[in-house]
Amino acid sequence: MAAELRPVSLKKEGDGLMIEWNDGASTFATWRKLRASCPCAACTEDRGKPPDPFRILTPEEIAAGAPLPVAMQPIGHYAYKITWNDGHDTGIYPIERLRQLGEEHQ
Amino acid sequence: MNPQMPQKMSLPGIKNVIAVASGKGGVGKSTVAANLAMALHMTGKTVGLMDADIYGPSVPIMFGLGTVNPQTTPFPMEKYGIKLMSMGFMVGPEQAVIWRGPKVAQAVQAFLGQINWGELDYLIIDLPPGTGDAQLTLSQSAPLTGAVIVTTPGEVSLIDARKGVKMFREVRVPILGIVENMSYFEDATGTKTPIFGVGGGMKLALESNVPFLGELPIDPRVAACGDQGEPIVRKFPDSGVAKSYVALAATVAEAASAPQSDALPQVEL
Repeated sequence: MAAELRPVSLKKEGDGLMIEWNDGASTFATWRKLRASCPCAACTEDRGKPPDPFRILTPEEIAAGAPLPVAMQPIGHYAYKITWNDGHDTGIYPIERLRQLGEEHQ
Repeated sequence: MNPQMPQKMSLPGIKNVIAVASGKGGVGKSTVAANLAMALHMTGKTVGLMDADIYGPSVPIMFGLGTVNPQTTPFPMEKYGIKLMSMGFMVGPEQAVIWRGPKVAQAVQAFLGQINWGELDYLIIDLPPGTGDAQLTLSQSAPLTGAVIVTTPGEVSLIDARKGVKMFREVRVPILGIVENMSYFEDATGTKTPIFGVGGGMKLALESNVPFLGELPIDPRVAACGDQGEPIVRKFPDSGVAKSYVALAATVAEAASAPQSDALPQVEL
């Protein structure tokens, strides 16, 4: 079997996440993009709805400001979970998804 | 912290955690898990068997045990030298566990993380059928060494076993191999009659590119031993089935000892 795609290192860099991969590539994704792509069931459902022009931000969202991770931990052998500064922590990002979300970085 | 989100746990005293899974029910997962645990124990290893089938636990009956008072009984229980944990020790056979998924996940995590398993060479986990809560919880929170997939030879069983393979692939749990249970019946003259079809296990192993761990014959004594609370590997160690299990245990032990991929790196925030 071909070697599985794996992150070698994951680092916060500027306003995003820099990942170095075992195939030699490096990708970068902003926290904003990662937060907006949260794969949890609630966020996925929200993204499927038309935008609500009257949406009211929760006090947590206002206090949090720009999305930043509070913690990011490995889940099993296949994913990472990000806990965000707005309190949201149900998103589990599979490794392949993290690769797709990142932009190739030279 | 979301209560449904499994905490990653480390089990430092346990060298290998092996899940016994199948897509379909009724293929003999629990029988395979119990006899595999017994066969590994008979090679001198310390073994635990955790019954992750919360709705339909079968470990207690297979080891001749019943319900106990959880307030006064230290878990895990022990029988024939194997450490055991099952929902069936706490809920009687006449009662039903009517729970939604998150509660199942909690119970599975408690069995794994809150029970003092001590030092074990192998912890065998008897999974419920399907690709749901218990499987996902284990894949996310337990340091699984690998999974053994049980199937019967027929296509109906293969359809679901394939889904099991797919699930473990998706969550990157190594598949140690496929075991084909109920492969054939061997009569007194040595004639082998395939009851449920031929070659399904091998077929699945080939198409999924995972090892085929072996065939287990049908023997009415397997079921009788399960019902009487003593795995056939222990009760009739000279029977053909028992020998197949001993061979299976050796193959599984070898597959589990292969170098595993390292844990995912931590994030520098």
